[in-house]
Formats: sequence, structure tokens, C-alpha cells
Amino acid sequence: MTVIDILTRVDSICKKYDKYDVDKQREANISGDDAFARLYSAFETQIETALEKAEIVTKEKNRASAVAMNAEIRRTKARLSEEVPKLQRLAVKRVKGLTTEEITARNDLVLALPARIEAIPDGTAGGPKGSNAWAPSTTSRPDIKFDSGDYGRFDDDYFQESNESSQFRQEFEMRKIKQASLDMISEGLDALKNMASDMNEELDRQVPLMDEIDSKVDRATSDLKNTNVRLKDTVNQLRSSRNFCIDIVLLCIVLGIAAYLYK
Amino acid sequence: MSSDPEKMMSKADKMTKLTLTRWSADWRGATELYEQAANGFRAANKYEKAKVALEKASQGQVMQSSPWDAAKHMESAAALAQKLSIWDEVADFYKKASELYVECGRAQPASDALGKAARALEDVKPEVAIQLYTDACEILEEDGRDQMAFDLYRACASVYIKLEKFADAATFFLRLGVAADKCDATNSQCKAYLSAIIVYLYGHDLKQAEKCYNDCSQIDAFLKSDQNRTASRLLTAYNEGDIEEIKKVACSSTVSNLDHVIIKLARKLPTGDVTAVQMNAGDDLDEDDLT
Repeated sequence: MTVIDILTRVDSICKKYDKYDVDKQREANISGDDAFARLYSAFETQIETALEKAEIVTKEKNRASAVAMNAEIRRTKARLSEEVPKLQRLAVKRVKGLTTEEITARNDLVLALPARIEAIPDGTAGGPKGSNAWAPSTTSRPDIKFDSGDYGRFDDDYFQESNESSQFRQEFEMRKIKQASLDMISEGLDALKNMASDMNEELDRQVPLMDEIDSKVDRATSDLKNTNVRLKDTVNQLRSSRNFCIDIVLLCIVLGIAAYLYK
Repeated sequence: MSSDPEKMMSKADKMTKLTLTRWSADWRGATELYEQAANGFRAANKYEKAKVALEKASQGQVMQSSPWDAAKHMESAAALAQKLSIWDEVADFYKKASELYVECGRAQPASDALGKAARALEDVKPEVAIQLYTDACEILEEDGRDQMAFDLYRACASVYIKLEKFADAATFFLRLGVAADKCDATNSQCKAYLSAIIVYLYGHDLKQAEKCYNDCSQIDAFLKSDQNRTASRLLTAYNEGDIEEIKKVACSSTVSNLDHVIIKLARKLPTGDVTAVQMNAGDDLDEDDLT
């Protein structure tokens, strides 16, 4: 047989058995107009990623990231549980090209979904009663959703403080005290700033007044200097002339006469 | 010189009256006598007579062309009138004194005289007081000494607040802001704007307060200041009707640095306006409104 013959034969056989190819069918379904199939496949992928994350969590050493990832998984689970009713509605719809058997099959798939979602491990220890309690409630009360699993399953591990969390708590307390003292300091600084700017403005106000005082005092001193010089001149004039001596002589004569008169 | 003030007064009066024997009034002598008589009356606690003596002394000084002394006498007369609670005369005397000071070319004492008058009349005749404050501020502004006018503006605004005329009070704060702007007193300017906004809010006028805030935000100095932040916090708290936040802002240190009248208003803010919360319910945009 030639290569070409082998190829054509393989092709025809593949085409014949295509309908048994699961992956291809799924893809065909996805690319089709069937909303249910699309949504269902989206669900499947999300569930698978959640399971993968759960795997990583079990291997994770850092508790903080483990906690974060668990929270993510819980959120995904909540979202999926919300979408389940939508999927149910789509499942019941009659789509052309589907037999009744397939529709019932779809219904079963959808019903199985909540159980599968619950089964994803998310750090809270699972119990069998959880899934039974949830299944009717998700359908009857879709508005109320809780992120974590059932309440009441808080075993010892839940509240136990590890070293890290107690350290976190201590740090929080210290930071709170520091914050309070920083607040006080900030208030004091505000008051200081305000006083300083008021002083600044007051000084600015005083500057022209000081300038005026300066000029006025300058004028006064120059006046005084003038007056002093003139006074000095006058006194010098007085001294240089004979009048001074004549005054003293005359004064002595008058005193002598007075003394003589009163003696 | 007789020590009896009465005698001095009559003598001085005679000196100023023109008669056949006296052809020109002797104002110098008369003024001296009047001053002495006034001192005598004051010592004897006869304020009415002292006031009259001072008036006449002032007139004498005017005749002698020394407006400064005349103004000083007028001010003393006005102080005595204040003691006697003759309010019209208080205003008149201070105004006359202020005019005389302006004649001397001294704006500061002029506005000081008007300021004293306004302070005296604040409780009794607030409108007159406001007029006096405004005149005092104008005198200072004409002379270019805006910084001295700050206190007068603040006093005037507090009188308006007492009269519950909040729009006028806010206007005065804005005028304070303008004066502060001229002298680059940014701190006073920002405080004035914040005070204006608080006054508007106290007067139940959110729209005006917001307009005021928008106008003030145009000014660089205000935009960069603490007061700007406080004002925006206050306005957003008002818009959300958050009473707790309003109270917190009112107790913050920025507000506590303002004038004490404004602090009182700010502390009362949320309780002074109960409709704040309801008013803002109508401001919410309709969610389906796509415009």
C-alpha cells in the first residue's frame, strides 16, 4: 500500500468514528449555539481550576497564602453555586437537535453539579451533612450565599493562634499606640503652625510702622543736634565776651552794698 | 488762675465772645482755660460739664489750626459721652475726631477713632457700628494700610453674625480675603475664605457655600492650603448628609484656629441645619439616567 492510500484510509476511518470522539464533540458543542453546553463547559473548567488550586493549597507551606487561596476557592464555589439555577433553567429548555434522553441526561448533570462543587476542598473540614443541607437551599434561596462552608464546623484548628497570627496581633497593638501618639503630635504641630503664621503676619504688619518710627526718630535726632549746636554757639558767645566778668563784678558790688545796708 | 472750673469756663467764654471792647477772640488763652476747666470737672466727676469743656477746647484748637490737638480733645469728649451713655454724641464726636485726624494726614488714628466708636456702639446701635467699621476700613484702605483693617473686618463680620445677617457677614469675610491678598497675608486670606464658607453653611445656604468654595478655589494660595482641604471635607460631608463627619471636621484643628465667633458657629453646624440630609436626597442622580 502506498502512503497516500494509508492516509486516505485513516482519514475515512477517523471520520466514521468521529462521533465517538469526546473532545471533538465537546468542542462542537461549544462552538454551537447551545447556551447550555457552553455554560456547562465553563462550569467544568472552573471546577477543574478550583480542584487544582485545592491541590496546591495542601502542598502550600505559607499559611497566609494558603488562607488566601482557600478564600479564593470559597469565592469560586459561591459563584458557581449561584450559577447553578441558571444552568438548570437552560437544561430544561428544549433545544432543537436534542433528544429527550439527552435533555434528561443534562438535567442529571446539572443536579450533580452542586454536589461536585461542595466536594471541592477549601480548608474547612467537609462533612457529609453539608451537601444534603445545601442542595435544596441553593435552589430555594439563591439570594443568600455564604463564603465559607457550614457554620458550626469550627473545630479546634480554626481558632488556634499560630505564632504568626499572635505576632500580627502584637504588631497591630503597637501600631495603634504609635498612631495615637502621632495624632497628638500632629495636633500640636497644627497649633504651632497656625501660631507661627499669625506671628509672621503680625511682624509683616509691624514692619512699615517700624520704618515710620525710624524716619521720625531720625528727624528728631537731627533737630536735636541742630538745637544743640546753636545752643553751644550761643553759650560760647556769652563766654567769650566780657559780659560774664562784668556780670560777676557788678553782682559782687550789689551784694556788698546790700550787706552794708543790712549790717 | 482761679482753681474753680466754673469760673474758668465763664472766663474763657468771655474771652471768645466778640464785644465792643474785644475785637478778636483770644482763642489761645480761651483754649488753655477750657482745658484746665475740663480737668477740674473730671477730677470732680462732673462728666457732663467736662465734656462740654472739652468740646469747646477742641473748637479752640481748630481755630488755632492745630487739628491734632483738636482731635485729641474730641476723642476725650467722646470717651466721656460713652461713660454717660449718650450714644449719638459718642458717634458724632468720634466722627469729628476722625475727620480732624484725616486733616492731619494721619489715617491710622482716624480709623482707630472710628473703631473705638464702633466698638462702643456694637451692642447699642449695631447698624451704626457697622457703618463706622466700614468707614474705618475704607480710610485704611485708601491709605494703603490694609493689614490694619483685618481686625476691623473681623469685628464687623461678628456684628453681622450677631444680627444673623449671614450673607453680609460672609461678604465681609470675602473683603477681608481681598485685603489680605493685597498684602500677601495668605494665612489670613485662607482663614477668611474658610470662615465665609462656614458662615454660608450656617445660614442654610449650601448652594452659596459651594459657589463660594468654587470661586475661592481659583485662588492659588487657597488651593494649596489646609483650609481648602477642610472646606472640601466639610462640603462633601454636607453633600452626603454625614452628620458625624461634619462634627469631626468642625472639631478639627483648622477650624479651631479661626475667630472664636466662627468656631461657635462651626460647632453648632450640623444641628443648625436639620434639612441638610434631606436636601441631598434629591441631588442623587437617577441611575437609569444615561445623560
